Amino acid sequence: MNAFELVRPTRLEEALEVLSEDPETVRPFGGGTALMLLMRSRLLQPRRLVSLDRVSGLDRLDLDGEGNLRVGSMVRLRDLELSATVERFCPAISRALLTLSNVRVRNVATVGGHLAHGDPHMDLPPILLALGASVVAQGPAGPRQIPLDQLYLGYYATSLQPGELITELVIPPLPEGTRGSYLKATALSADDWPMAGVAAFFRLEQGRIVEPRIAVSAATTTPVRLPAVEAALAGEAPSEALFSEAGRLAGRDLHCLSDLRGSAAYKREVVRVYVRRALQQVWAGR
Amino acid sequence: MTREVGRSLPRLESEAKVTGRAEYIHNLTLPGMVYGKIVRSTVAHGRIRRIDASQADRLPGVVAVITAAEVARIVQDPYYGPAFHDQPVLAVDKVHYVGDPVALVVGEDRDVLEAAADLVAVEYEELPAVFDERAAAEPGAPVIHEVIRPAATFTDLKNLKPASGSNVAMAYQLRHGDLEAGFAQADYIFEDEFHSHQVTHTPLEPIVTVAEPRGDGGLDIYTSSQSPSFVRMELARLLKWPENRIRVRTAYLGGGFGAKLYMKLEPLAAVAALLLRRPVKLSLSMEEQFYTITRHGATVRLKTGVTRDGRMVARACTIWWNGGAYADIGPRVTQKSGFTAAGPYDIPHVSIDSYAVYTNLPPAGALRGFGIPQLVWAYESQADLIAHRLGIDPWEFRWKNALRPDRPHATGTLMRDAGVLEVLQELKRLMRWDEPFDRGSGTRRRGRGIAIGLKAAITPTTSVAIVNLYGDGSCAVYSSTVDMGQGSDTVLAQLAAEVLGLDAREVRIVHPDTDVTPYDMATLGSRSTYHMGNAVLRAAEEVRHQLRAIGSEIFKCRPEEVELQDGHLVAGERRVSFKEAMEWRFGMQAGNLIGVGSFTPTYKKPDPATGESEDITTFWMVGGNGAEVEVDTETGRVTVTKLVTVGDAGKALNPGLVRTQLSGAALMQLGFTLFEEMRFEDGQVVNASLADYKLLGMRDLPSSVVAEFVEVGATHGPFGAKGIGEVGSLAVSPAVANAVFDAVGVRITSLPLTPEKVLRALKEQAGEIWEEVE
Amino acid sequence: MAERRIAFRLNGREVSCTVRDHETLAAMLRDRFQLYSVRESCAQGLCGCCTVIVDGLAVSGCLYLAPLVDGKSVETVEGLGEEGRLDPVQTAFIEHGAFQCGFCTPGMVLMSHQLLQENPQPDQEAIAHYLSGNLCRCATYPEIVEAVRAAAQGSHVAKEEKSHG
Repeated sequence: MNAFELVRPTRLEEALEVLSEDPETVRPFGGGTALMLLMRSRLLQPRRLVSLDRVSGLDRLDLDGEGNLRVGSMVRLRDLELSATVERFCPAISRALLTLSNVRVRNVATVGGHLAHGDPHMDLPPILLALGASVVAQGPAGPRQIPLDQLYLGYYATSLQPGELITELVIPPLPEGTRGSYLKATALSADDWPMAGVAAFFRLEQGRIVEPRIAVSAATTTPVRLPAVEAALAGEAPSEALFSEAGRLAGRDLHCLSDLRGSAAYKREVVRVYVRRALQQVWAGR
Repeated sequence: MTREVGRSLPRLESEAKVTGRAEYIHNLTLPGMVYGKIVRSTVAHGRIRRIDASQADRLPGVVAVITAAEVARIVQDPYYGPAFHDQPVLAVDKVHYVGDPVALVVGEDRDVLEAAADLVAVEYEELPAVFDERAAAEPGAPVIHEVIRPAATFTDLKNLKPASGSNVAMAYQLRHGDLEAGFAQADYIFEDEFHSHQVTHTPLEPIVTVAEPRGDGGLDIYTSSQSPSFVRMELARLLKWPENRIRVRTAYLGGGFGAKLYMKLEPLAAVAALLLRRPVKLSLSMEEQFYTITRHGATVRLKTGVTRDGRMVARACTIWWNGGAYADIGPRVTQKSGFTAAGPYDIPHVSIDSYAVYTNLPPAGALRGFGIPQLVWAYESQADLIAHRLGIDPWEFRWKNALRPDRPHATGTLMRDAGVLEVLQELKRLMRWDEPFDRGSGTRRRGRGIAIGLKAAITPTTSVAIVNLYGDGSCAVYSSTVDMGQGSDTVLAQLAAEVLGLDAREVRIVHPDTDVTPYDMATLGSRSTYHMGNAVLRAAEEVRHQLRAIGSEIFKCRPEEVELQDGHLVAGERRVSFKEAMEWRFGMQAGNLIGVGSFTPTYKKPDPATGESEDITTFWMVGGNGAEVEVDTETGRVTVTKLVTVGDAGKALNPGLVRTQLSGAALMQLGFTLFEEMRFEDGQVVNASLADYKLLGMRDLPSSVVAEFVEVGATHGPFGAKGIGEVGSLAVSPAVANAVFDAVGVRITSLPLTPEKVLRALKEQAGEIWEEVE
Repeated sequence: MAERRIAFRLNGREVSCTVRDHETLAAMLRDRFQLYSVRESCAQGLCGCCTVIVDGLAVSGCLYLAPLVDGKSVETVEGLGEEGRLDPVQTAFIEHGAFQCGFCTPGMVLMSHQLLQENPQPDQEAIAHYLSGNLCRCATYPEIVEAVRAAAQGSHVAKEEKSHG
């Protein structure tokens, strides 16, 4: 790891100011688990790191007046996992966290870092994408809200601007009766990075599927929503046949990546199966 | 009745290990010590045109950059290796694989070393490279080593003639019976090819060595080595020094599994320390371990003739071992394991051709089984295939063909003290083979499989031990066996304690230090309990003899009438403590009673033409595994729900340690079976980290893990004991693959059993078209 | 090279030292405090050999910057148990033979200890989930699960005894 200077501002403005010096060599540091890996493998050699651990106001974890779950960017993944508020708000998030990396990483890694990293193998982005979440980013040009489907541009690429920081995650409330599921497939050991992740949500009204949301990650360069699959499900009565068709559509439209965890063709097969299984699980959870 | 032997005593070093205080070379820091970082080849095969270290040299904190030119100032002929002298301390003129050490950057500050290593500019002229063992063995393949120079270390390898001008470093052949006549008797002939992949050891304590020049012109080496005696011998040869100028010490090893055998970092650390006249520490990163030593990939072709009633009558085995760029111990694997390639079966007509092949991959050596798991993968997969085709129960097929006592093995050596039948029976019992089995339904299909493997001891080898009784009656065992987790300290203490009437917890095991502890060939191949165990027994018996002589003088009785109990000499009602005996003998609390034990088993070299010998091994190792699996037919994922391991321990000196060894070996092999796999692109390892080369973890554990032993005593083993360290790993892979076949009817012939591979086979079986996309 | 003075609580004692800004917690504990139970192996936070407890939470010492423990409490396995007495987790590891080479053991012991603090009666699945980030290359996993269960049982018994007493 190269030598760098660590600064620990206490106010957000201060942090943003340091970050604006030179976004190439000055990097924000949340929990640092991902950044440390990049630095230790010498892929990243910053001059200065801005630790956000002392910045106040980045640790909220509550519902706002409109029922949105608001999560400060410095909330640790483990706090999210153990939060009763989150469990009530969306149990699928709590369950997904249980197998996200390991306890030590979750104790340190932050929500902001998890979302800003742009690694498609992360577990929360597909769920949050399905939930229509957005992030609040602050930078030299002031705050702005970025819907998650506009955050991820490519493999490890986000729409965050130089000097810009995620300060908050905002998840809109789920309509009453919505249930969800997140399934991930690992190709190697059980604790491996996901080879494919599928998030599925819907609710039933008069026996018909309403507001289906399907998102896929890990098999693809970025987490993606599958609007064609959602359209095929909306308004239909749930059935094995319908879910199989949804899986087929998901596999058909998806552009998967080949890597050492599986070929693109295999990942497509797995997505097909997992979309169907995720939908079945949501249905069975009625 | 034994008191110490057969007791499940916790490891002697238990408390040191749970409190983090156990000693590892990983922790060693010496005054004035500098650190090294290896600059590695970025091409798979090439000539070195130029090395420019000037920029690295100028970096503050860098003490030196060492290349082959500097090595030559210390070692004129810098090639080493246990079988062939083919591995240079640092690359000379040529590199042979991606990761081959080319230079060493040395610095006082570890932080600057990586940057410095990046600054060493090496220019290569690339040469054609070859990675596949079959392709490399073909005439016309790029030749990796122009000249092959055998080492003289192992007498048993002396008559193996390497062929220069080819990548076949060594060929071993066995001819037993009349193969053609055998095939003529057969009703069916099965021809199948099986492939094993490259995997690696990844001990969690990465390989580490500290070398320190002594003021008297000698050299001290502190190293995480499984073979301190060999390191001293081989370093002395390189330096043209007498062995007594070099002192090699080890501590506990944070895992070994064969990775820390022979020489690894020692020659480079020694040369750097001698050049710089100060202590040098070389520690591999986890990533670098992938470039240092692997388990042989192998292609095994089996042609087996079987009669209608399920008797194997002829078998031809051809094996190509992917040895990587340097032979390491590959030639020994080729021969010692090669001759067991026909399995633990009574087959009258056998031929074996086993080839050690150089390729431009990282060097392959021994990994828990010395090549046997690759062979068992082939012959036990085929055994199942044959049984199924003939409609015979897989267990019955094995039982029918198993080598019975006093029947000749393919080498001609008679099967003695080998628990082939006992292991099969125990396996059947633990698998509840005769009971109905839930085969699952829908997309979750269940199956079960078994397999059994046979391994010979690495013979002939020597172990020497000293048992020292001090003036106060306390006792120490001096042995160069390395405790890398297998529990040798504990078992050797139990053996000495048994003979001397002590509690094993009171026996001090002096760790390998070649200035102090006597010669031992190495800690490998499940040999320590048997070989060093015997040496310790003999040494302890010599001390007992001396104690009894003293007792007979004190008690005025015959020596045989003196018993040793709880640290006392006892004759009838009379007792004196060892301390009192020593005072009686030396006039005060002083002196030593020293016993020396040495053990070298008998052995007869195989005939070069037939590969046969009537005494090919001093004992046989037998291990069987059983697996129950669940296959997800839509994703191909295999979940092992039950893993049974049975090993023949001869006599379990410490049953608790035996079971842990058996299940640990089996679980390690389960990782190799299901997903561990080194992946290469143009010879470059592309998953050299624990993020992408996944080890078996807690959540991969089968819900039932059963490890048991049978005891078929070894005539010459200490209390009948045999080695057990590798036995659990021998047959796991085929047991799982056989279970997958049982579950879903697809036969996977190349490891590992990844979900994708299984799903592809399922689709193919169903006649479905797999649409490739990119 | 940027350096700073930090002060923190280490295994119950107040300490201070100078660290480089880019120094890892694992390196600092080994090099400056000779706490060799903290072992860097995979250097990716995956094996658990460098497990350290910071303010009551387990972290990977190889991925944690040393300057960040300023003002915090740091514990390693050397600080576990009372003077001259092993922690029940350590005793259970010994009794169940839950290690072979011992290199991963301090991390396993610390994580198991943390688990029992959070969840005194974990089932097999809870144990597997909590320890899934700790690798044992000797694969002594079944024995480790047994040891954690036994330690949990022990603490349960101890509590009952207390409540009855």
